[in-house]
Amino acid sequence: MTYDSRGTARYHSPKKKSFFQRLCSQWQLALMSVPIFLYVLLFNYAPMWGWINAFKDYGNRKLVARGITPFNGLDNFKWLFSRPDFFVAIRNTLAMSIINLVFGTVSAVLLAVLLNEVRQKMFKKTVQTVTYLPHFLSMVIVVAMAQNIFASNGPINDLLLGLGIVKQPVFWLGEGKHFWWLVGIINVWKEVGWGTIIYISAMTAIDPALYEAAAIDGAGRFQKILHVTLPGIKSTFVILLIMNIGHLMEAGFEIQYLLGNGLVANYSRTIDIFVLEYGTQNMDFGVATAAGIFKSVVAIILLVGANFISKRLGEETLV
Amino acid sequence: MRKLLAVLLTLALLGTLMVSFAAAEELEPITLTVFRGDPGDQPYEDNKIYKKIEEEFGVKFEFEFLAGDLDETLGLKLQDLDDLPDLFDGGNSAETLIDAGALVNLLDYVNPEDTPNLWAHIEPQKNRIITKDEVTGEDVMYIIPNYGLGEGEQIVNSVGGPAFFIQKQVLAWAGYPEIHTLDEYFDLIEKFIAENPTNADGTPYIGFDILCEGWRHFCLINPVQHLMGRPNDGEVLVDVTKDDFPTETFINQPYAKAYYKKLNEEFKKGIISQDTFVMSYDQYIAQLSSGIVLGMFDQAWDFGDATNALLTDKKYENTYVALGLVYDEDDVAAEDMPEGWTIEEHYVNGSLPNLDRGFGISVSCKCPERIVAMWERMLDYDWQMLFNWGVEGEDYSVEDGRLTMTAEQYANTQDIEWQRHNKARAFFESSPKRQGYIMEGEFAGQCWEPGNQDEIVFGLMNDYDKDFLSHYGYSKFGDFVNPPIELAPYGEAWQIDKADIQKDYDDYLRIQDEQLPGIIMASDDEFDAKWDTFVNDITPSADIYANFMHEQILKLVAAYYGEE
Repeated sequence: MTYDSRGTARYHSPKKKSFFQRLCSQWQLALMSVPIFLYVLLFNYAPMWGWINAFKDYGNRKLVARGITPFNGLDNFKWLFSRPDFFVAIRNTLAMSIINLVFGTVSAVLLAVLLNEVRQKMFKKTVQTVTYLPHFLSMVIVVAMAQNIFASNGPINDLLLGLGIVKQPVFWLGEGKHFWWLVGIINVWKEVGWGTIIYISAMTAIDPALYEAAAIDGAGRFQKILHVTLPGIKSTFVILLIMNIGHLMEAGFEIQYLLGNGLVANYSRTIDIFVLEYGTQNMDFGVATAAGIFKSVVAIILLVGANFISKRLGEETLV
Repeated sequence: MRKLLAVLLTLALLGTLMVSFAAAEELEPITLTVFRGDPGDQPYEDNKIYKKIEEEFGVKFEFEFLAGDLDETLGLKLQDLDDLPDLFDGGNSAETLIDAGALVNLLDYVNPEDTPNLWAHIEPQKNRIITKDEVTGEDVMYIIPNYGLGEGEQIVNSVGGPAFFIQKQVLAWAGYPEIHTLDEYFDLIEKFIAENPTNADGTPYIGFDILCEGWRHFCLINPVQHLMGRPNDGEVLVDVTKDDFPTETFINQPYAKAYYKKLNEEFKKGIISQDTFVMSYDQYIAQLSSGIVLGMFDQAWDFGDATNALLTDKKYENTYVALGLVYDEDDVAAEDMPEGWTIEEHYVNGSLPNLDRGFGISVSCKCPERIVAMWERMLDYDWQMLFNWGVEGEDYSVEDGRLTMTAEQYANTQDIEWQRHNKARAFFESSPKRQGYIMEGEFAGQCWEPGNQDEIVFGLMNDYDKDFLSHYGYSKFGDFVNPPIELAPYGEAWQIDKADIQKDYDDYLRIQDEQLPGIIMASDDEFDAKWDTFVNDITPSADIYANFMHEQILKLVAAYYGEE
C-alpha cells in the first residue's frame, strides 16, 4: 500500500485490510479483469506446458509419428549449443533487431516531429496515410517488390550506374554484407508511418502553453522541438524502447525467410529460421522448443535489465 | 407334386427375398468422406460421372481439399484416429499417415481370389508395393499407387522429368543440330546470344537460368548424375551394373567439378546472370513465361506454368525441348571417373509406381470392403473408359476403330470448370487406375489416357511443333532422348525416406545451397580453393548420407528379389 503524506490516522490503522477484503471492496474492477486474466492464463501460461517438449527426443520422424518421444534430458540444448550456426543465428538476430530498433525508432520519431510541425492539415493527413499504408501490405508482396527494385538490372542499380556512383551493378541480394541493411531499410519503409502514430498522439498531449511560453522566451522552431516536443514524448519513447528491447530476440521471420537465399544464408538465418530448418520442418519439436525457451529466457533478461537501467536513470519503467 | 411345387415356390420366393435383402443391404447408400492432400476444386452436384457412381455403387463423396500447409493439416487430422476421412490421401506426406497407423492394411481385402482385377493391377510391381512392417514383420500395403502401373510398352511422348532444356528457336536458328554434350549446348547458346542479344521487344536474353530456391534446388545440385548418364536418383550416383550397387554422393567427386567449372566459365561470359541465385520461384516462372530464358536444367513439371503461359501467348518458338546431355570424353579425366564407369545417356527411367501416393482407407472407415470392391469393379474396362475418355459421342468419338477427340473436346478436358461438371477428377486422380495401352477389347493397342493417344498428340499439335519435329525426322519430343532404361531394382533412390539421418541430410543440402552459387561466381584464382573448401565441408555429412543410402538401396534390392 502506498504511503500518502496527507494520510490520516485511519490510513495507518494497524488492521491492514487483507488481500481478499480489498478484492471484495473492488469487486467490480476484479470482475472486469476476469476475461483478461483468463485470456492470459489460457494463451500465455497454459501453453508453457509445452516446454516439456524441450526435454524430449523428437529426432526421428518415424518414431514421433508412432508417438514415441522419450525424455532425453538436456540433449536438445546441448545439440543447439554444439552448432556453430546457432550462434551465427543469434548474432544475425541481434544485429538485425538492433538495426531495426535504431532505424525504426529514429525514423518514426523524425517523421513524427516533422509531421507535427506541418500546419497544412491536408498535406499532413496525406503524408500520414501514405506512409502508414505499407504497414498493411503482406510481407510477401513487399519482398517481391524489393527483389525487383534491388535486382542487378533494377531501378536502384540503374540509378547508381546512371549517376556514375558505381561501375558494376551492386549485387544487393546476393552479398551477405548488404543483407542486414536491406532488411532495416525495408522495415523502415513498411513500418515508419505506423510507428509515428503513437508519437504523434503523444505530441498532441503536450500542453500548448509550453510552446507559447517557449515562444515568449524567444525560442525558434528548432529550439521548440528540442526543448518542448522531444522532452514531451520522452516517457512514451522510453516505455516503447523497453518493450522493444524485450523483443530483441525476435528479428522477424518472414522477411529473412523470403528475401534470403543460399548466398546470404549466413547473414539471413535468424533463430526463428534456424528453428524452422532444423526443428519444425522435420517435426523435431524438441529442438524447436529448446530454442524457443532459450529465446524467452534471453528476452526476459533483456527486458528486466532495460527496466532496471531505466529505473536507475530515473526514467519511466514498466514495472 | 403340388406340395413339392408349393415348397419350391416358397423357397424361390424366400430366396428372392433374401437376395433382394442382401442386395438392398449392399446398395444402402452411403456418403464417404474424402480428403485430398493437394488443392483442388469441388465437383458440381450435376457431375455426370459421380452420378453414375452413385447409381451403380450407391456411393456419394464429400470432398475436402488441402488448404494451407500439408504437414500441419495432417497433424491436426491425426489427432483423432476415430474421426478420419474414409478415403485419405496424404499427398506428398502420406508416410506420416502410415507411420501414425491411420490406414488399414489393404492386403486384408486384396488377394488374387476376391479381387482379381486389383491383384493383376499390382502384381507386376508387387515386390515394390508390398512391404514388410518394420515392427511386426507382416506384409503390408496401405496405398495402391495412383500412378505408374502402366500396361504395355512405356509411353514417352515427351520428357516429363529432368533434362537440360533449350528454347526451340535456338535449335531452329542453328539449323536443327543434334546436341548431346555440355560444350555443344553452351556453345550454341553463346553463339545465339552473340547474334541475337535481345528479343523482338528489346529485352536482353538470359542464356542459362539456375533456380536455387528452397526444395527446388535440384536445378542446382542434381545435374551431375545425369551428365554421368543416370536417371534421377536424387543426390546419389549408383552403379547399377555391379551386384553390390556401389553408391556415392556425386557432388563432392572430381567429376562434379567439371560441371561447376563449366558453369563458372559461362558465368564469366555473362551467359549466367548473378540474379539467378537470388531469384524466387515466381520470378523464375515469370522470366521463363516471358520467353527470354534460352536454357536451364530443370524438371518439366516444375515449369509447367511457364510452358502453358507461352502456349497461351502462342510463343511456340520460346517453348522448350528436353535434351539429354552427357559428359564428353574430354570433360572428365579418366582417373576421375568411378571405377569401370561408362557414360551412356539415360535421362528417362523405366516407369516407376508412384509408391505410397494415392488413397488409403482410414482405420475409422466403416466399410473398407465396399470401397475395395468398388475399386475392383472400377478397374473393369467400361469404368476405366468412362474415367479416362468419358461418354462416347459426348466427350469422344470413334473413327475407323480409333478413339479420338476434337480439338474442342480435348480442350474441355483441360478446363477446370468443365471438369467439375464432367470428370470425376478428385476421386479418380488418387484411385488405382490403368495407364499405358489398352490390352483388351476392340480398342486394344490404343491409349488409356487421351493425352497419349496419337490422334491427340499429333493431331492437335501446333504447326510450329509439327514443322520443328519434321526437321529432325522425329514423331514426338520424347525422341530427343534415349528410350527408357530398365528401372533399377531399388526404384529411384530419391524416394528413400531420410528420417533416420535427417539432421545430417539437412546439413548436406544446406552446404550445397550456401556454397555452390559462390563457386559458380568465383574468380579464376578463387575457384579451386572454393571447390576444395566445399568438398572439405561437405564430405562428413555426405559420407553419412551415402552410407545410409547404400544400406537402404541394398534393403530395397533384397526386398525386390524377395529375399529375407
